[in-house]
Amino acid sequence: MSNHHPVTAVLVVEDEPLVRMHGIDILKDAGFDVFEAADADEALLILGDGTEVHLLFSGVDMPGSMDGLQLAHLVHERWPHIHLLLTSGHHKLRDTEMPDAGKFVRKPWTSEALVRQVREFV
Amino acid sequence: MTHRQVADDGALDFADLFETAPCGYLLADADGRLIRVNRTFSGWIGQDPAVLQGQRVSDLLTVPGKIFYETHFAPTLRMRGRLDEVALDFVGADGRKIPALVNGIERRNENGAVIQIRFAVFMAAERRGYERGLLEARDKAEAAIVSERADSELREQFIAVLGHDLRNPLASITSGIRILEKEGLSERGRKVTALMSGSVVRAVALIDNVLDFARGRLGGGITIACDLDEPLEPVLRQVVSEMRSISPEQEIATRYALEEPVACDHMRIGQLLSNLLGNALTHGAKDQPVRVDASTAHGELVIAVSNGGAPIAPAALERLFQPFFRGHDRVRQGLGLGLHIASEIARAHGGTLVARSDAVATTFIFTMPLGGITDRMD
Repeated sequence: MSNHHPVTAVLVVEDEPLVRMHGIDILKDAGFDVFEAADADEALLILGDGTEVHLLFSGVDMPGSMDGLQLAHLVHERWPHIHLLLTSGHHKLRDTEMPDAGKFVRKPWTSEALVRQVREFV
Repeated sequence: MTHRQVADDGALDFADLFETAPCGYLLADADGRLIRVNRTFSGWIGQDPAVLQGQRVSDLLTVPGKIFYETHFAPTLRMRGRLDEVALDFVGADGRKIPALVNGIERRNENGAVIQIRFAVFMAAERRGYERGLLEARDKAEAAIVSERADSELREQFIAVLGHDLRNPLASITSGIRILEKEGLSERGRKVTALMSGSVVRAVALIDNVLDFARGRLGGGITIACDLDEPLEPVLRQVVSEMRSISPEQEIATRYALEEPVACDHMRIGQLLSNLLGNALTHGAKDQPVRVDASTAHGELVIAVSNGGAPIAPAALERLFQPFFRGHDRVRQGLGLGLHIASEIARAHGGTLVARSDAVATTFIFTMPLGGITDRMD
């Protein structure tokens, strides 16, 4: 089923432009197709367009109508095949706080740690 | 005992004693209707004793006093036969409130039937005022506590938001540095980005320490979250590599022997090591290496950080972990919070942080049980 689709397309959601650029650079260098959004609303527009995304990689603290955790729950509800990876420098999320099979990576990420986490989704 | 006063009793004028006693006397029938009041009382009330006669005791009271009299005073008096020091407010003829303390006693005949109720009334304006003052002061204090709690919640939020808003731009700068480093910089450019990285690390460490200190002062204390699933060593290595970027010219020698998992908060232990290393790099001799030794043995995690240079005087050694302490040569940088926060982190993990200093080296040793916080959380 679609749950077993290998991750090749990642949507990066992060409000700090430099942090977002850095994340995109790391994932592009690792060979992923990358889409970007500055907040949850932009992310939902991209997903609503039918863009094929296999992984949502989002910051937790974000301005706008919802934070990363709320976005993750909504995405999980509407597009259950999309994997979830959340990141924060302040909150350490437990797996139980996240929707099914969601993962957490702590900021600041090194490129190795980030790529390893993304590759763990199969 | 001499009984001279008693012997003179015969000369006492009891009627006068009743009328001009330094307290009010009220005599009432079994229904609480006044039979007689003394002049002292009628003087306070400002009514002729004849007018008061036949009125109910409760008619002389304020409305709350009336209710209290009917629902509490009278029934209790009936039950117990006497009641002392009851606070009641009488109303004078001019409408003035007269705070008083009242003792009541029932006089019964041989069949146990009430034949008379006697009251002694004491003016208590001052005392009742004092009591009211106490109550008001208590209410004020309670209100102050409530508002103090609200303030401290606000401060806590303020600190959290401030920390967030300070860290975010630093995270941006770090990301910017990483992006630039991949652009193929010149030798000089690489040196600049390395120094920038070091500055960011210092700023982050300072923010963490100040926020922790502020939280500690607010009673929040250091919070820790246990990480058991991931190894500790990469966290320590990361801290050492960051500190190398701050002081690239100084050698940091490391030895890791972490064979067993440690129930600790990785970010916190990283912060502890960062603070100890920051201290060693700042105050140690520049021409001698700083040593980091992290090991698990005998059920304990031990992290030791040592540096060469002049020893710390025993008197100063004792005060190293106090906040804002910066010995005599410690004026160059920092708030003097690093070691204090490090010792608080140690304490939060059920561990200890001690300092030793002699001519050879100054060493800070952190020790905690491997079970650490999981043991404490049981």
